[in-house]
Amino acid sequence: MSDATLAASRTPLAQRLKSPVLLLVPAVLFLAVIYLLPLIDLFRVSMSGPTWSTHFERVFSVPLYWESLIRTMQIAFTVACLCALLGYPTALLIHRTRGIAQILIATAVVLPYFIAILIRTYAWMVLLGRNGPINKLLQTLGLIDTPLALLFNRGSVLLGMTAVLLPLMVLSIYASVARLDTSLTRAALASGAGPLAVFWRVLLPLTLPGIGAGFLLVFVAGLGFFITPTLLGGPGDQMFAMHITQQADSITGEGFLQALAVVLLVITLVVVGIAGRIMGFEFIWGGGKLGDGKPRPVATAARVQAPRRGFGMVLADLLGWPLLRLMGLLSAGWGRWTVRIMGGAVIVALVVPIIVVMVISFSKASYLTFPPPAWSLRWYEKFFSDSNWMNAFRNSLLIALLSATISVSLGATAAMGIVRSNIRYKSALMLLLVSPMIVPPVVLGLSLYALFLKLGLVGTYLGLAAAHAIGGIPIVVVIVAASLQAVDQRLEQGAAVHGASPLTVFRTVTLPAIAPGLAAAVFFAFLHSFDELVLSLFLSSPRMKTLPLMLWADINYQLNPVLAVVSTLEVLLVVGGIILARPVLTRGKPA
Amino acid sequence: MVQTLARREMSLEAPRTTTTAAVRTQGAIGAGISIREVVKRYGAFVAADRISLDIEPGEFITLLGPSGSGKTTLLNLLAGFQSLDGGQILVDGRPIQNVPVHRRGFGMVFQSYALFPNMTVAQNVGFPMRMARIDRETTDRRVAETLEMMRLSDHAGKLPAQMSGGQQQRVAIARAIVMRPRVVLMDEPLSALDRRLRESIQIELRELHQAIGSTILFVTHDQSEALTMSDRIAVMDAGHIVQVARPAEIYRRPQSRFVAGFVGESNLIDAQVLGRNGRVLTLRTPGGHVFEAESRHGVSADSATVLIRPERIAIHAAPAPATLPATVTSALFLGEVLRIEVVLDDGQRLLIRCPDIAGRDLPEVGTQVHVGWGAADSWVLS
Repeated sequence: MSDATLAASRTPLAQRLKSPVLLLVPAVLFLAVIYLLPLIDLFRVSMSGPTWSTHFERVFSVPLYWESLIRTMQIAFTVACLCALLGYPTALLIHRTRGIAQILIATAVVLPYFIAILIRTYAWMVLLGRNGPINKLLQTLGLIDTPLALLFNRGSVLLGMTAVLLPLMVLSIYASVARLDTSLTRAALASGAGPLAVFWRVLLPLTLPGIGAGFLLVFVAGLGFFITPTLLGGPGDQMFAMHITQQADSITGEGFLQALAVVLLVITLVVVGIAGRIMGFEFIWGGGKLGDGKPRPVATAARVQAPRRGFGMVLADLLGWPLLRLMGLLSAGWGRWTVRIMGGAVIVALVVPIIVVMVISFSKASYLTFPPPAWSLRWYEKFFSDSNWMNAFRNSLLIALLSATISVSLGATAAMGIVRSNIRYKSALMLLLVSPMIVPPVVLGLSLYALFLKLGLVGTYLGLAAAHAIGGIPIVVVIVAASLQAVDQRLEQGAAVHGASPLTVFRTVTLPAIAPGLAAAVFFAFLHSFDELVLSLFLSSPRMKTLPLMLWADINYQLNPVLAVVSTLEVLLVVGGIILARPVLTRGKPA
Repeated sequence: MVQTLARREMSLEAPRTTTTAAVRTQGAIGAGISIREVVKRYGAFVAADRISLDIEPGEFITLLGPSGSGKTTLLNLLAGFQSLDGGQILVDGRPIQNVPVHRRGFGMVFQSYALFPNMTVAQNVGFPMRMARIDRETTDRRVAETLEMMRLSDHAGKLPAQMSGGQQQRVAIARAIVMRPRVVLMDEPLSALDRRLRESIQIELRELHQAIGSTILFVTHDQSEALTMSDRIAVMDAGHIVQVARPAEIYRRPQSRFVAGFVGESNLIDAQVLGRNGRVLTLRTPGGHVFEAESRHGVSADSATVLIRPERIAIHAAPAPATLPATVTSALFLGEVLRIEVVLDDGQRLLIRCPDIAGRDLPEVGTQVHVGWGAADSWVLS
């Protein structure tokens, strides 16, 4: 070791590296100021009426609101059920296939996951439209004379939301299926369990946590859903989050709006809280337990063991099993084909809308019709020559770059701090860092609006970038923490033993090992900001529009193929990113 | 497995509950297995190349071989996890290749234990009984009996994650034998355990085999495990069975260089055949040393490979009749034995193991010694 490195190891920097807790400070401070404080303020304002409960009483006494609340829960629940039902066979299908087929199917699921919700919803509007492919196909087949009204009803809301949220469910279930030891299935078979019994007694119980986690993530996301129901729903399908934005347009009395948001937030938190108590809060970030130093398996095991034959098991024995045995009387191959057909249908439903949109972007017609009557690049020309679109594109790009920089610098250091420190309340801190993932964006947007007005940040690059970083930090923390945990610490110890200073260890061992994870984190943080619509709706000014805002305005006023052009470009961006991030994705799904 | 939601329309209860289960609960006798010309290919790779093997009812037979020799493939074919590309497997005279895994009625122990993590020990062990729809009372009684047998009674309510590796493997064994199956398959069940534990479970398994009488097919790559436990060992190499015999026979009279090298340590000397007198051959090493070796089979060629096990070579300080001069190149004290390497003056290296008895000192490297063996201590490979 040279004198220079010896000297370096005595600097305070080395000291700081020795206490990784300090790495958490920037991210925690940032979130406290821009995320926690505004939410606390939201609560304060919501209780600022004549009595604290005035506004809440109104929420629960006006049928418009509480009926919408019930409807929102119904829709979110239905969507979660549909996702579980369709997602399980799809996850099994990914698990069962091999080689190139597996890569294609997995891509078909993962790709839509990273494409903006706005764009995927738009794709469904195209697909289900009066002149869309489905109506055209039915007319060509002579099944109908006039186009069916497939849009703007409850069915289209459920379909759209299910399609949008399905990848989340599939990835969650797949993670639990892929973790299973394959010899368990063999052991069950060798023990005389028929294929049905293997599924019912072994596969299903062991993958239940994955289903549960997926179900909750979808349900919670569905509760705060805003974009899809607004675009695909009719007047009777108003979801709760939509009221908040509508009320924000026509400023009603201060306080009531906040009360609506608080109700939505509290319901979300209660659901997450109960779920977290039952299955551990790890479900939010889909990761394993962070090393707390406490031996966990025994504790969980003891908890699982207590109800020896719980209600669920009795139910499974009395109801489920006989039912399944009846199904077993169906002909051979039935189960395998169920998986193939359902999984196949899901994949078609995920991929076809995107393909249709890409095809339409090359249409010559000035309205949406499929198949396009003639081909042209006129909409690409229009996009690239229209200064409004170009300005919005530039704005989005700048904001996303800025936001990704904030997210990665704060998130990656926080991940280091979480993984490498031994502080107490590690789980609580992790929960704080990832909690923005579950707060409905509408609530976040509303709470930030007041703060941004005060600070004069509305409609500024920095303001939007910071707002987007609230959601970007959890993404970065989850991905980087996973990469860090995968680093073999013995390698670091090995380097240190052979004379590397802490900084050198980090540079030569740790950084190369987490580099793919960092790259993926940069990309996904960028994408998160680039696609963000809801916060931008609250926090942008008419003079500063982002690409999603332009899309949003256009979808609401004129459905023209320029939107398809933007969507196609976004798909290309995501495909490029996934190819770049593939090493990380294949190593351990961060999503 | 959803793919397997499908169930054959042929009835499942009738044959199962009446024949198999009933026979088993009476205390079963192992089944005879006949493997005939079995072929399994993975693409161009032939994992099992026309393998034939007859296993006696109640026999403890070990498939021994290096990884990739086809032993696990053969076990999987028998279990039904893989399908045959040729040949036949008969159990008690009936072909089983079209019987699905779960109706073969075998017990199986896996290398990774494969205990269901969501079930307690008792539920794990009771799983096969439950699958066979045996009534709860019988199940409970049999599970208790089996746990008692495996000395697991105190752990009945625990989950697998709460137990040590050795305990988990005993649970896995209990699950495999709870039905008193005609055949128990074991896929390297002890390889994840440490040596001491492995040895104690080896003895336990041997006793268990005598108690329940099932035919046991045991796969391992550990030769000492195979020698300790088996009635017979089938040594496998590159998709073939190269020798099937009792452990002592395999060790003392291997039929090929491969078997001699894989089972135990060996000295192999290539020598020229000078003459023959009954079962005793007179041979000459390339360096000109003449010695005698026993051979059961006719050796027609004029050269042969002779195996001498390291513990059969005697080492003397002074010259004696029928000994060869040698120089010590290495000497290690291993506890109960001394491990000594010598080189003959013609360059032939020999490994010697001799017991650590009173009055014997570890020779120093470079010492001149004299080594010798009798005709009955050597074995001529065919």
